[in-house]
Amino acid sequence: MSVKSIISRCDALFEDLDFHCVREWKQAHPGALAIGYMPIYVPRELIHAAGILPVGILGGGDRLEVIHGDAYYQSYICRIPRSTIELAVTGRLDCLDGMLFPSICDVIRNLSGMWQIKFPGKYVRYFDVPQNYESDIGGQYYINELQVLRDDLGRLAGRPIPDADIRASTAAYNENRRVIAGLYQYRAAKPWQVPTAELYLLLRAGLVLPVEEHTRLLGEYLAATDAEPRPVRDNCRVVVTGMFCEQPPLGLIKSIEMAGCYIVDDDFMLVARWLLDEVPLEGDPLQNLSEAFLKRSAESAAKFVARREDKGRFLIDSVRHNRAEGVVFAAPSFCDPALLERPMLQRALNREGIPYTAFKYAENSGQMQPIREQAGTFADSIKLWSE
Amino acid sequence: MALVTAGIDIGTGAVKAVLMRHDGDVHDWLARRVERIRRRDPLVLAREIYAALLVEQRIPGGDIAYVATTGDGENVPFRTGHFYSMTTHARGAVFLAPGIVAVLDVGALHGRAISIDLRGKVLSYKMTSQCASGSGQFLENIARYLGVAMEEVGELSLKSDNPEKVSSICAVLAETDVINMVSRQISTPNILKGIHLSMADRLVKLLKSIKAASGRVMLTGGLAADIGLVAAMREQIAEQKAGVDVISHPDSIYAGALGAALWGEFRYRKLAQLEQLAKAV
Repeated sequence: MSVKSIISRCDALFEDLDFHCVREWKQAHPGALAIGYMPIYVPRELIHAAGILPVGILGGGDRLEVIHGDAYYQSYICRIPRSTIELAVTGRLDCLDGMLFPSICDVIRNLSGMWQIKFPGKYVRYFDVPQNYESDIGGQYYINELQVLRDDLGRLAGRPIPDADIRASTAAYNENRRVIAGLYQYRAAKPWQVPTAELYLLLRAGLVLPVEEHTRLLGEYLAATDAEPRPVRDNCRVVVTGMFCEQPPLGLIKSIEMAGCYIVDDDFMLVARWLLDEVPLEGDPLQNLSEAFLKRSAESAAKFVARREDKGRFLIDSVRHNRAEGVVFAAPSFCDPALLERPMLQRALNREGIPYTAFKYAENSGQMQPIREQAGTFADSIKLWSE
Repeated sequence: MALVTAGIDIGTGAVKAVLMRHDGDVHDWLARRVERIRRRDPLVLAREIYAALLVEQRIPGGDIAYVATTGDGENVPFRTGHFYSMTTHARGAVFLAPGIVAVLDVGALHGRAISIDLRGKVLSYKMTSQCASGSGQFLENIARYLGVAMEEVGELSLKSDNPEKVSSICAVLAETDVINMVSRQISTPNILKGIHLSMADRLVKLLKSIKAASGRVMLTGGLAADIGLVAAMREQIAEQKAGVDVISHPDSIYAGALGAALWGEFRYRKLAQLEQLAKAV
């Protein structure tokens, strides 16, 4: 397959707000269920092990007109919960048999409550994760949470989920994470070969496709793009951060790159990159998932960092590791986690002498010229005036 | 080692391109060309102009060390890199008139005052608001209503003996003003001078907003060649006690393309240095 045809397929999946591919999957697997989840992270291994299709729900983007959703939230709340509830009340999510709401912020927690009231027949769970990273405290708590989820999913699927199935699913997701990590490494080495708009669409496809199919697709893309050399531009290398929940319009990602920046790392679709290493397949599978979460997981605004001096280390390591020349903070308007974290991260960057620029967006932002100007002048300042 | 770079500036009204030869600190113009867009595809036009310059100079495309774009040139497929207009206008203006303290870029769509240091580094800037009444496109529309070629506008404006004031806030109101003036048989030079003064009034306010209070200010962009506007600017500077001296240059229109070519050379050498450093490590 060519890059064009792969990206065209991913784009069609991205544009489809009626989730036809989920409906088709359910038709092809009579009796099978699909469960939605919101950012940032849920253990998809458990859903997969139950024979259920995990479906990532990231709001309605810039293609959905929010009519009902605004009635549920005040004007000072971000847009993703409005467009998500709009998707639901307009029947677009009726292919889902349940929803998981990870603990990312109060707004998403409230959304889980609304879901319980609005859709009493569906499985709804507010999936809490530990903010204590000691194995015998947070770890024990998290294993209990995983066990509750495992039992719930088993009941929905009509059969208990054996350890062997969780190990098999963990192996499938290990492979998916390995290929995604390879794709990120490839992009950091040759960013002109993997425009971030393409990488973004590839990752979005992974939110609706079965994991095995997604892994194959990623492999095909890597081979296809490597076989199609593209022109190298004199762009500066940046890490983009803050886009882990409400999604930017695709045009915004394109605008940053068009403005003269190569994005060499980002925090898109963290669910697929949250666990940094391969999860061991031997031993207790829940304990393995828990230890991976506690000891080797990514960072975001929704994760507690115990030691003040460690705040920002993950971002700085990414800058260094990916040879980035600056950081672009792009956060959704009214996103408390991202916007409250920003000054702490900026302080850490200041200490390291890493330049940055910052702006806000909404998932339906339409005017890209100011962002192009800002990202472009930032790129110029790095290319022309940095030491 | 001498090298050649290209600068391509895609503006709202015209595409400008230059080729420059660089040998150490010596930067020479090889060729330049400007063409009005006139409903053509700017990207196609940019490619045509660039190809024509290469043919004219008998330089193969592969010998160009860096093709730098600016303005709306982010999508030019054969570019090596893109720089933003403020950055390139500042650099181009400093090349044309060393020692300037600010640049006033007046193009087809808007006006922009840019405060710079002696190296051409942008310190701050202010743009005209979205209204088109301070722009070249507005002046071009008026010239068309009056049946005057753009090239004649400046000379005619200088012949004014009693300029008629127009609205400086809104292009639509200003155009209505002009229609009324024509029906009142106000002379073309007086109408044009009135428009120049109205534009100059806004541009001088822009200069004051970036705190340019002394020294020379270089006019760039398509309207830099309009001697009527330059004269009106000087009058407004005196009237508003702005304290600066506004200058233009016969090649002001190329400032963006020129700046892009110069920055292209800078980046080419910097990237080569970085590559050598990486090899050494």
